[in-house]
Amino acid sequence: MSSDQAAVTGHRFSSVVPGDVTGSAVVHELAGMDLIMKLHYLRAVYYFAPSEVVDGLAITDLKKPMFPWLNVYYPLAGRIRRAAEGGRPFIKCNDSGLRIVEASCGRTMDEWLQAEEGGESRWRSLVPDKVLGPELYFSPLVYIQFTRFKHGGMAIGYSWAHVLGDPESATNSINLWGELLSGNPQTVIAQKNEENTEEPVITPQGPAPAPVPAPAPIKQVEIAEDVWLPPTHRKMATHCFRITETELEKLHGEQVPPFETISALFWRCLARIRSRREPELATICRSGTPAKNNEILHNKFRTSTVKLDSSAASVELLGLATKILKQDMDEALVDGDNTGEQDFLLYGANLTFVDMGGIDLYGLELRGQRPVRVAYSVDGVGEEGAILVLQPPQRTDLSVMVILPEDEIPSLCRVLSSDFGIA
Amino acid sequence: MPMAPLPQFSSSVKLKYVKLGYQYLVNNFLSLLLLPVMAAVSLELVHRGPGEMVELWESLRVDLIHVMCYLFAIVFVSTVYFMSRPRPVYLVDYACFKPPATCRVPFSTFMEHARLIYPNEKSVRFQMRILERSGLGEETCLPPANHYLPPKPTMEASRDEAQLVIFSAIDDLVRKTGLKPKDIDILIVNCSLFSPTPSLSAMIINKYKLRSNIRSFNLSGMGCSAGLISIDLARDLLQAHPSSKALVISTEIITPNFYPGNERAMLLPNCLFRMGAAAILLSNRRRDARRAKYRLVHVLRTHKGAEDRAYRCVYQEEDSEGNSGINLSKDLMSIAGDALKSNITTLGPLVLPMSEQLLFFLTLVGRKVINPKWKPYIPDFKQAFEHFCIHAGGRAVIDELQKNLDLSAEHVEASRMTLHRFGNTSSSSLWYELNYIESKGRMRRGDRLWQIAFGSGFKCNSAVWKCMRTVKTPVDGPWANCIHRYPVHIPEVVKL
Repeated sequence: MSSDQAAVTGHRFSSVVPGDVTGSAVVHELAGMDLIMKLHYLRAVYYFAPSEVVDGLAITDLKKPMFPWLNVYYPLAGRIRRAAEGGRPFIKCNDSGLRIVEASCGRTMDEWLQAEEGGESRWRSLVPDKVLGPELYFSPLVYIQFTRFKHGGMAIGYSWAHVLGDPESATNSINLWGELLSGNPQTVIAQKNEENTEEPVITPQGPAPAPVPAPAPIKQVEIAEDVWLPPTHRKMATHCFRITETELEKLHGEQVPPFETISALFWRCLARIRSRREPELATICRSGTPAKNNEILHNKFRTSTVKLDSSAASVELLGLATKILKQDMDEALVDGDNTGEQDFLLYGANLTFVDMGGIDLYGLELRGQRPVRVAYSVDGVGEEGAILVLQPPQRTDLSVMVILPEDEIPSLCRVLSSDFGIA
Repeated sequence: MPMAPLPQFSSSVKLKYVKLGYQYLVNNFLSLLLLPVMAAVSLELVHRGPGEMVELWESLRVDLIHVMCYLFAIVFVSTVYFMSRPRPVYLVDYACFKPPATCRVPFSTFMEHARLIYPNEKSVRFQMRILERSGLGEETCLPPANHYLPPKPTMEASRDEAQLVIFSAIDDLVRKTGLKPKDIDILIVNCSLFSPTPSLSAMIINKYKLRSNIRSFNLSGMGCSAGLISIDLARDLLQAHPSSKALVISTEIITPNFYPGNERAMLLPNCLFRMGAAAILLSNRRRDARRAKYRLVHVLRTHKGAEDRAYRCVYQEEDSEGNSGINLSKDLMSIAGDALKSNITTLGPLVLPMSEQLLFFLTLVGRKVINPKWKPYIPDFKQAFEHFCIHAGGRAVIDELQKNLDLSAEHVEASRMTLHRFGNTSSSSLWYELNYIESKGRMRRGDRLWQIAFGSGFKCNSAVWKCMRTVKTPVDGPWANCIHRYPVHIPEVVKL
């Protein structure tokens, strides 16, 4: 692990701001759902194969489209502020900017990706792992890292504070940057400007009502004062599994969609590993319905909570998958009364399964070239763990990123390979 | 009670008319004198009749030789007079570098970077206070190397910045005037703090393939007033070489001059100096007079370096930790005031109308002879000039000059707005200010313009220009896409 970190060197930091002045009093209000997600961070790494196009892009070419891009996505360049001491947080759109990191890697991209196949999480050195805090007012919300590999190829690491928006918002935003880089800015910007006209205005309604027990998918945690990270007692680690088409077919045939099958599979395995505290509740997250007023930054999930009466290990795989599929969606998790006085966790409050299938992860196009691989993870996950299921388009294999306490991962690998032949 | 203010009002109105009458009388004294003389002469002629005039003429006994001699004398004198007049110097056109949005530095980014670069919190707070009161806006630009944490000022980055700003300005100028690079006879570049070998003038000659017999000069180390020094040099060269064109480039390269230390007096330039450049085309050809914008009337240079205090006022040195920076002393404003006084004392007699000069002279005599307690009369320069371009060195400089010269807010508007939009671009700021006045449609034919620049040394330089043709809006230049937003109100202290 340390040798991987040593392989990435030459870090240079700079900032990129919106091209136009946003204004002195522009504020992006944080909705109740945004504040629930404030302790989570999305980390994405996009790998681009060596080619004339990618290697010909200098840092100035990469930075130049960010200025008009941030004219549209100006909240990304803002900073967190609180209304008063301990008051509700919001984003002051003061054009502070994103932090850009440039680095180079001493290994070739092929070498790197091959090692990733084996499940090592080398992607960590390709994306900044910063969080909001301890200086909350001066912490960038978004970081982008450009790492050049030996003999060509580039990795783009995108770190996104979940308080800004869900994976769909994050992916759409960086895809827009790709489109601006490739050319064709007029039509794209005009379209986005139409979408951007309304800001969600959340007015706190009087003093907070008596605290209601949190709905099932989320768990209340102690207040994170200056550093927005959940108070975990166990160290979390990530691991990536690749599930090929044949393996998938072996599991279910054609009766249940892949996401539910995979979720059921991992639930059963984890139930076996955690014999003492079996996960009876699981949260399923899917991309939300398209926002009604076309906000480009939103945290809109549809969640459902699946409760089992007995141990998951005893339920048959197909039955479990069907139960997950048929589960109703929860109602809106929270209304506008959340003043941000309490802090919550969504991912990892219960064992969480996130369906990334509907998100255009491979849509980041740099002058016609798309990524060969995308790694995706979440930081700030609770101890129950989270499982992200990514389905690349035109590919039939699935990537599964698991975020679990460190000590559970070796056992999980063992169970999967012995029982299901999945490496 | 209501009666008391009325006499004051009527007395001030009376005073105003008295002043106007006095000015009109003194300034047009000779013409006014001529009228009665002409009236008397024509009356006399009419009185005497034409017959007497012919008799008078014949009595002089003028014959052909006399006529030839007189004619010869007249022709000789007028030739000598015309030949010894200085060649006029025309400003054909000029272009300013428009910084791209990719170099923009908002206040919040500047402060965040300061917190990350400077471990000393006092330095950070000091810079924040300066920035709040600086009069700069959120659109000023720093070169790409200064956007890094920490800034990495390499020679290559400095050259890149120089090429970016200078070549953009020259390309703009070529586009506006149709200037052919082969036609440039004189090239003068001034850049105070970056002086590589080969010089920036050689860099321009290389890029644009200028002639091998070009007269090129590179002025470095001369501070923010070097722009007018270059104009002065160009004027002198244009006197010596007939039918020539001179290209003057004024700029300041910011990249190598980032100060990473903690000395407060040296942190000021970090907060105020920004990217900028101007390219000016001067000519002494008669045929350029038709399309030229301005004619150079006077250039006046005042150098106070003989006094130690003035010499050390803006001083580049290393601090106790070995970091090199520019030290601005606390009595900068008073020294600037002294230098300005010297300059306008010399400039006054050249530009002020007779009415003001007479008043000044009378007050001076009165103070010496009658009563030393009389207040010195400060001449009203607003009668000599329609437009003022005061070097946007900082808010304090503009405030001080506005007070000393008794200028209205509109007169200093160009300077304040240039400071807000572009920051202190050093020697090129005068040209951004002129572009502002033109973009607002205020420059008319016959208007007189006064450019004042201060710089290290300590120097105060002035240039006086006369507008030769009304400049029509919209004007192509760095203000083109934002002039409609100006003027803006700049608060005393911006809340960061």
